[in-house]
Order: sequence, then C-alpha cells, then structure tokens
Amino acid sequence: MIKYVTKRILITIPILIGVVYLIFVMLSVVPGDPITVMMGEKVKPDVIENLMERMHLNDPWYVRFVWYIRDALRGDFGESYKLHRSVSSVIANAFPKTLMLAVTAACFSWIIGIPAGILSAVKKNSIIDRLFMGFALCGVSVPAFSVGMLLQNLFNGILPVSGFSSPRHLILPAVVLGWGAAGTIARLTRSSLLEVLEEDYIRTARAKGLMPLRVIVTHALQNSLLPVITMMAIQVSSLLSGAVITETLFSIPGIGRLTVDAINTRDMPLLQGTVIFTTAIIILGNLVADILYSVVDPRIRVEGGK
Amino acid sequence: MEANRTKEELLERGGKKPVREKAVSEGISITEAGNGETGRRPRRLADVAVPAFDRRAAVKAMEEAVLSRKEEDDSFLAVCKRMFRNNKVAAASAVILVIYVLMILFANVIAPYDPAVVNLMERLQPPSMAHICGTDELGRDIFSRILYGGRVSLLVGLVPTSISMVIGIIMGLLSGYIRGLDALIMRLADIVLAFPSIVLAMVVMYTLGASTFNIFIALSIIGWAGTARIVRSQTLSLREMGFVEAARSMGVSRTKIMARHILPNCLPSLIVLFTLNIPDAILSESNLSFLGVGAQPPDTSWGLMVSQAKGFAISSPWMMIFPSLAILIMVLSLNFLGDGLRDEIDPHLKK
Amino acid sequence: MKRKLTKILSGTLAAVLLAGCGAAFDEGSATTGTTAAASSGAGTEAAAGSETTPAADQGSKSPAGNIIRIPEADEFPTVDCQKDSAYYVVPLNIYDRLIECETVDGQATLVPGLAESWDVSEDGLVYTFHLRDDVTFHNGEKLEADDVVYTIDRMMNPETQAVNTDFFSMIKGAMDRFDGKADSVEGVKALDEHTVEITLDAPFAPFLANLATPSCSIYNREATEAAGDKFGIDPELTIGTGPFKMKDWVLNDKITLVKNDDYFKGAPSLDGVELIQVPDEQTQKLMYENGELDIVDLSSFISQLDFFLENDQYKDNIVRGTEAGTYFYLFNQTMAPMEDVRVRKAVQMAIDRQTILEQLYRGEGVVVNSFIPDGFAGSYEAAEIPYDPEGAKALLAEAGYADGCDIELYQKTDDSDAMALNQVVQSMLEQVGFHVTIKQMDEAAYTASRKEGEIGMQRAVWWADYNDPDNFLYTFFSAKNTKVRSTNHANQKVFDLLDAGRTETDNEKRMEMYKEIDTALVQEDAAFVPLFQMNHIVVVQDWVEGFSIPWNGWTDASYYNVSVKQ
Repeated sequence: MIKYVTKRILITIPILIGVVYLIFVMLSVVPGDPITVMMGEKVKPDVIENLMERMHLNDPWYVRFVWYIRDALRGDFGESYKLHRSVSSVIANAFPKTLMLAVTAACFSWIIGIPAGILSAVKKNSIIDRLFMGFALCGVSVPAFSVGMLLQNLFNGILPVSGFSSPRHLILPAVVLGWGAAGTIARLTRSSLLEVLEEDYIRTARAKGLMPLRVIVTHALQNSLLPVITMMAIQVSSLLSGAVITETLFSIPGIGRLTVDAINTRDMPLLQGTVIFTTAIIILGNLVADILYSVVDPRIRVEGGK
Repeated sequence: MEANRTKEELLERGGKKPVREKAVSEGISITEAGNGETGRRPRRLADVAVPAFDRRAAVKAMEEAVLSRKEEDDSFLAVCKRMFRNNKVAAASAVILVIYVLMILFANVIAPYDPAVVNLMERLQPPSMAHICGTDELGRDIFSRILYGGRVSLLVGLVPTSISMVIGIIMGLLSGYIRGLDALIMRLADIVLAFPSIVLAMVVMYTLGASTFNIFIALSIIGWAGTARIVRSQTLSLREMGFVEAARSMGVSRTKIMARHILPNCLPSLIVLFTLNIPDAILSESNLSFLGVGAQPPDTSWGLMVSQAKGFAISSPWMMIFPSLAILIMVLSLNFLGDGLRDEIDPHLKK
Repeated sequence: MKRKLTKILSGTLAAVLLAGCGAAFDEGSATTGTTAAASSGAGTEAAAGSETTPAADQGSKSPAGNIIRIPEADEFPTVDCQKDSAYYVVPLNIYDRLIECETVDGQATLVPGLAESWDVSEDGLVYTFHLRDDVTFHNGEKLEADDVVYTIDRMMNPETQAVNTDFFSMIKGAMDRFDGKADSVEGVKALDEHTVEITLDAPFAPFLANLATPSCSIYNREATEAAGDKFGIDPELTIGTGPFKMKDWVLNDKITLVKNDDYFKGAPSLDGVELIQVPDEQTQKLMYENGELDIVDLSSFISQLDFFLENDQYKDNIVRGTEAGTYFYLFNQTMAPMEDVRVRKAVQMAIDRQTILEQLYRGEGVVVNSFIPDGFAGSYEAAEIPYDPEGAKALLAEAGYADGCDIELYQKTDDSDAMALNQVVQSMLEQVGFHVTIKQMDEAAYTASRKEGEIGMQRAVWWADYNDPDNFLYTFFSAKNTKVRSTNHANQKVFDLLDAGRTETDNEKRMEMYKEIDTALVQEDAAFVPLFQMNHIVVVQDWVEGFSIPWNGWTDASYYNVSVKQ
C-alpha cells in the first residue's frame, strides 16, 4: 500500500515540471512584457528597459526556467510582477476562498444530485425521472456564466450578488458552480443504483416483500454510492476549472480570478504559481480517488503495484 | 486451433467484432488500468454528462463504459436505424440537428438582415415582426446574428473535435500498441489533463492571439488527451486478442494491424465520443468568449453573443435569452443523439 | 473490510446530507432576516418607477453608516504612487502634494497644498517652496523639508524601481541619480526645516502643474525607509499626510481607509472609505440598486448608461462633469494605406461623429476638432472637420483607392467600449469604400506592439495628468514618443515646436505655439481624428453629499469633501 502511494506521488513530480515547462515555453513566445502592462498608459521606454534588466526578464526563457525550478524546490515561487507580493502569500490568501466556494458547491451538488438520482432510479422512466434528468442536462447544456447572470438578476436584493464577506455571499456562486456537478452526480447515482437494483440479492429482498424504500436504503444505496464517492474526488478538477468563470462573475477573490488576472497581465510568476498549485490539487484529488478505490478493492492495488 | 487457420480466415474474424477479453492493465493509476478484472462495475456512457469542465471525469467514465462493451455491434448504419426505431428522443434530436445545420448553412438566404450592419437608430429593440429576436446594443438583428454566429459555433464544435480526435486516435494507438511510447505519451496526456481545461485554453489563446482560428488550435490541444486514453485502453485489450496475435505472427506490419484490425474495432465508441465532444467544445468556446479570448468581432458566436449581453440582462433580456437558447437546443440535441447512439451500441445497459 | 468501509462512507455521506440540509435551513432564515434589512435600507426594488414613495425617502439614509463604498474593477498593484501610474484613488486620499489642483469657479486652478507658498526665479529655473509647519504624517512625524528631498530622491533612486520618474526627471541631476552616476539629486536642497529649493535643468513651464499630480505625493523619510519593499503594500506601513489612513487591504476584495483625525485641513466628515473589488459592470449596477455601493462611475461602461439615464428613480442621482480628456483615433503612418494624407483625411471625413455621440453615447459630451479639450489651458476655437462621405470617396479615388482599400482597427481584447465604437466606425468607413477589420490583442501584446510602433489605426483616450497642453501633444507627437505611441508621425516642425514649448516662459506665446501644433496635426497632416470630449457620469446614492467630479474628470478622486446623511 505504502509502495503504491509513494509511486503515485512520485509520478506527480515530472507532471508538475511538465506543467511549468509548458507554461514557460508558451508564454515566452508571446509578445508583451509585464512591465508595460504594470505601467499602464504612461510608458517610458528607458524605465521599462531598466526594470526588465532588474527582473531578469531579458534572460532567455530556459535560463529563467532553470532558476525557477531551483527556487521552487526551495519553496520560493517568486514575487508577483503586478502585485509586488510573494506568490505564495497571494495564493495562500486566495485559496481558502476558492476552497470554501468549491466545498459549498460540492455539498450543493451532493444534496441535490444524490436524492435526485435515487428518486429518478426508483421512479425509473416516470415523469419525475425525465424531469430530473432533463433538468440535470440543462444545467450542463448552457454556459455557466449565463446561468450565473440569470440568477444574479433573479436574486438581486434577496441574496448578495458579488463579493465574499459573509456565508450568504457563497450561495449564488456555489449554486452556479455546483449545478453542473449536481447533474453529473444525479446521473451517476441513478445509473449505478439501477444496476444494483437489477442484482440478484436485491431481487431476492424485494421478492421477500420488503418495502422498496427499505431495500434501497439498506441494500442498494451502500453499493451504488461507491462510484459516486470516487466521482467526488475527481470533481475537484471540474470545480477548480469552473471557479475561473464563477469567481470572475461574482467577484470572488479566489484562485480562479487570480489566474485570469495573471494571464491578462502576463504576470508569469503568479500564473505559474496558480497553475502549479491548481494542478497539484487536481492531481491530489485523483490520487485520493485512486487510493480510496484501492482501499475498497485491493485487487487494483495489486495490479497497480506491478 | 487458431494457429492452423488460414490468414484470410483469421483476418476475416479480425474484421468483425472481437469478444471482450480481460483488459490488460499495466498502468500505474486505476484511471489508466482497464477494468476487466478489477471488480468494478462497468459504468454506462450515460453517466458522462459532458459538462464543459468535467473532462477528467468524463474520460474516466468513458474508458470504463467503452471497455465494458459487449460483442453484438453491427455496422454504424444499422445502429442508426435501430436508434431511430427505438429512441424517439434521439430521433427527434437528429431531425432538429439537421434542420439546425441547414438553417446555419443557408444563413445568407434565411437571415433577414446583414448580421454586421450597425444601425444606431434601432438599438435594443425588443422582439417584433421586423426583428423576431430583437436587436442588440448596436441595432443589429439578433436572429440574423444567431444564424451567422451558428456558423462559428458549429465550426468550433466540429473542427477542433475532429482534430483532437485524430490526434487522440493516433496517440492512443501508438501508446497502446507500442510499448516504448506508452509512458511518454501517457505522461504527456497526464500533463494536459492535469490542467484545468479552461486555464490551458486561455494560455494557448493568449500565446497565439485571440482569433476564431486559434480557438480551433486551443480546443484541439486540450481535447486530444481524453480520446488518446480511451483509444489506448481499447488498444491494450485488443492487442492481446487472438486475431491480432495471429496477424502479428503472420508478419503483418504494425501500421497495418493498427489501421486494419484495431482501429475499426474502436470506431463505434469513437463515434459516440465524437457526438459528446462537440457540445463540450461549443461550451468551452462560450467560456473563452466570456473571458474575452473567444470568437473575435466582427465574427460572432453564440457564446460571444451571450457574453456581450452581460450588461443588458435586465433591460434587454432578449439579447441573452435567444443565443442561450440556441446553445441549449444544440447541446441538448447532441447529447440526446449521443446517448441514443450509445444505448444502441452498448445495449446491455439499456433494458 | 469492503463492507465496513462502504458503511462508513455511506454513514458519512448521510451525515453530510443532514448537515447540509441543516445548513440550508439556517441560510434560509438568515436570508429572510437580512433581506428585510437590505430592502428597508436600499429603498427597495419594489419602489422602482415612483420617485417619491416613502420607501425612497427612507432610503436616503446610508445603510452602511458614515462611510462610502466605491467599486473598483481592478486590483491595485501597490498604492505607492511612485511605482504605479494607473490607479490613483488611494494615493489621492492618503497622501498630499506640495501643490494641489482644484476646480475654482469652474477653472482648474493650482492651489497651495503642503507648500503654503512658492517663488519662481526670473529665468524659470529655481523654485523655492515654503512648507506648512502644522502638517503631521499618520505616524505622528512632523512634515519637514527633508521629507520632500527624500521623496524626490526616492523616485529617482534606481533601487526604488519607480515607474513615474518622468515627473521629476527635469530636475537638475535627477537623471544622473537615475542612471547611477550620482548618490543624490543635485537640484533638490532643504534650505531650512520648512524651505525646499528645486533647480531645473532647463526651464520647464508645466513644472508646477506637474507637481500637483498624484505621483508627486510627499512621503515621510523615516516611515518609508523603515517600510522598505512593504511601502504601498502593507497598510500599516504605508504612511502619508492625507485625510484618510490605510487600515486594511484584503487582496482582490477590499481596501479600507479610515479618517485621519489629525488632518491639517481638519478631519474629514466621513469615518472611512471602502474600495470594493467588483470587476463586473452588471454586478456593480446590481449592487448600486441594492444600496451596497455609494458612488458608481458609469463612464467606463456605456452598457449601463441607458438604464440609469432612463430610470426615473435614479436619473436625479446622476452627477456630471466634463472630462479633461479627448477621445480620438490615431493613425499609424508607416502602415499602408495611412502613409497617404488623403486617405487619412478621407477617414476624418467619413466618420459621422455627431451621430455616434448622440446615438452611442446618448449625447453625453461634445464633438471636438482639436486635441486640447475645451476649457483647458491652451484650448482654442478649432476649425470644424466636416462629415462628408462623398468628399471622402473622392479623396480615396484621388489617392488611387477608387475600389476601396483594406484597413485594420486595433484594440485591446475585452475593451467593450472601444469595441462598440469600432464597430460603428467600421460600418461608417465601409460606406465610403474601406474594408475594415477589427483586430484585437490582449493588453500585454497590445502595449508591447504599440511600443514597437506596430499598432495600426487605434482608438485612444488621453486624460490630463496636469493642466497643460504639453501633456497632450508631447505624449503623442514629440520626436521621442511618436514611435512608442504607434503614430509614426514625422513632422519636424511639430517636433521643434513641441520642444520649444517646454522651455518657453512667456505663457501667451506658448499657447500660440500649441495652437499652431494642433492645427498642423489636425488640419494639414490629418495625424489623428479628434472625436469627443465626454461627460464624466457618476451615479451617487441619495445619501451622499458633497461629491463632485474632480477638475480632470478622473474616476479617481479625493473623498475629503464628501459626507453621508446619517
């Protein structure tokens, strides 16, 4: 087990380096420098040149890459060009907000998704089933920001539509972010529950005349929720991606908006920091999913350890 | 004994559908491992709700669903026929899609106005007989813009999906069939999949500059990895099959084996994947437009139209509603169609 | 093992579900509570349409207490205004300048700030400032002449990495300091505790106006040296003399300023100012309606203008001011076909500026025919550029483009204001035979290409830093800047006049020179298309008093004179 986990963790290191490398190469071919962006409209060439020299921006990208990796291994991710603060501190400041948003959205998606999935499975092919599944599909069939804009307008005056100063501020963005995930979970719960319901022991239980609800709760649910739980760990990726849009729309000072800002201002250290961080979280999410599964089913571990 | 059969017989069999065998798993992560003997319950493609962000989850579910496929497939045409007979929703979706595509293709005939002509005197008109979907903040006819914008959206759906699938298929075949390349290609795919997709697409757009053409490139770059993994896991299981081994022992070249024996067996599921990837691409483009790096005016796309309606959502709701509807109908139809196709290809899930 | 774990997991899940439901109910009740509060405070959305409902009267009290809340679309890099030249709202409120520029009787006027008086030598080279003796910094330190010396030296010290060195570079020895050839700025001397003498390299007429810009705010030596890199970043360490002090800064969320009770002009009426990050325009509008924002600047987003100008409830809350700035199109004269003056003239004549102003900007401004905005130093009665599409076609034909020619309009991605204008201009230009493409680049690429002189026809806006025509014309058309602004306009007469204008001490003569430059640029060379001088439009809540648009029409303003009805 330990061997398996160690191996999985070690593999993330080349992936992370690959991510940094990719970002470096891509951004090094783009015209535009952060100093000009920082200075806005009032540009003065000699000042820019001076600053470029000081910030080592005139060095070729591969030199900067090697330096960056060296510093990053020491835990120093550099200083943001635009915000004049250390990247680690900026991320440390923003991440809790994204985390809270993501967790709230995830909770929302489970609270809505799992019961809806169960109900749909039990009342398979009924109006309720169709309605729920249709609703789930609609959630993922329009861009998240148009759902967000709609909710902002509908709930203006009832719920806060911007910012992040109280738990109430989380409600709308979490709903927008969680809706797509709720759809996925509802569909997954439904189909995996349907499969379990077909299995012999459930049929037997039913034949014995047990109440359908009881069968579902005592027998079927336990078994059918496993894939759903794995899905939750994988959800991390989609929630972090979605946060980019949601945080921009609802003015939440989290990682997603930080990333968008960093791209807009060509703030390389900040962008690298946020991307490495998000990527690490996503990889961690998958790691947890895999480990969770291998705990449940030791055969995977044996295979994976090969 | 298979070894005693003639080459033709064996190849013939190879041309047909194989029996599912134990997936060979040598991957390190279970997301890569086949699920043949892992005891996991096969999951249906229906679980893949294709949300724009949820690539990883979608890929994973697809991989499993694809591997759990049973033999009984017919030609693609037969599948379509069955689907039309059995699944009314999917059939209706197909019809809607055809009408949609025709309307978009003949936009220059149908559209009542030039989509780019600015008419400041007719700003923000609500829907009326003259402008059935109203006009936008520069007085342009929204219905005409939806038709023309559909061209971009449709292209954004089709082109990058095709490119990414071709890349993905080649990478998947190579990775699954040639051991030496496997680790390299899969790590590359891991890197792409580890990015939040929207961030990777944005970085690519900024690198190349914002233009409609570059959206194709950006979405292709983020899209191939998923396909590659699905094709790889299928290839892994197929390469151990009797007919492939036989072909190999008879000295058929690697390229031929991949092209003639392995690829045809992956095709049905790839077609399903294709229908499900298109809406994904359309929604991704919308998100890019919202962040300012999607389709570039004077071109327009549905996503761009919705994001341009940002400031007018209350005062002129039609600016947001109609393009959103256009996206919704297109994406829903494609999803239903993909679901329908999958149900036919993967009938043990249906019942 | 498997079954057990499954049970545990299911159990946890059930707990999460229950907890979630509980939380949801809690949220529910909390929601109703605050909703009531919010509606009574904000004058309620139900009252929309009727102006004098009791709800609206009730709404004339600020729900947030004695503070004002202002939205900001971008996060500030730093509030050290030597290191940033884009965001001045915090510097304007927490620091002071030697001289301030204020609107007095409708005219932008230089008034004493930290310096109560000043003398200028006959030759225009030596400026002597007499500082007030009753000014203290937020940390309790007295303002002394040494602080002024320190401030100027800090700007020019290459270690500082300042970006606004332009504002002091005309001081004698300043560039030597910047280039590392000297340890101090030679031209700045503290004569005694409250007297500073500044010597210039050459006469620079706009020098006093220049000192009134936010970038020339005066810092305290002790506090700033102690803060080091954290100055302008850490609210505790960012010390000024201004009416407000920095209290808190939550990145990408909110900056909180509180009043400085010891302000030398008297404490401000407000207890504080909150600068809240709201990047989305639509959201700003919604928050204003909710009473969550007190002053919202509408100028940067025309999409909300219609709503506010037509809404009976809000149209009386609008405050207008004239912007000390001009909208214009710049040509790049090294990019075909713009090297031909006839083509440039054709563009000038093909744009129906009056219609655009009325339809797109609701007539909130005036059409201008000169670079120097009306009511501003150096403005004059400029000859009208006619709207004449037929004449434009004829000129194009004469230039050899009878069948039209391709041009590109450049703009930054995500600049919806420029996009709207560009699309209108695009359709107007197409009517006279141009084939117009709008080319978008993200901000970094755009500024970088512009620096290389490679941006084609672009819409530009320039707001005055200081009240002098030099600030407008020199920035775009001097020999030094013509490439970095991507105009590539090479007219030696203009270059010479612009340089001469800087050293000329006779004001009347100077203004004549700028008139000559401007006429040459607009009428003879057609180097740009002057468009509009816009009204600056701000919507304020009923309870906000004493707010006016600053002399330069900036969004960034001092809130010293603002108060809130309690």
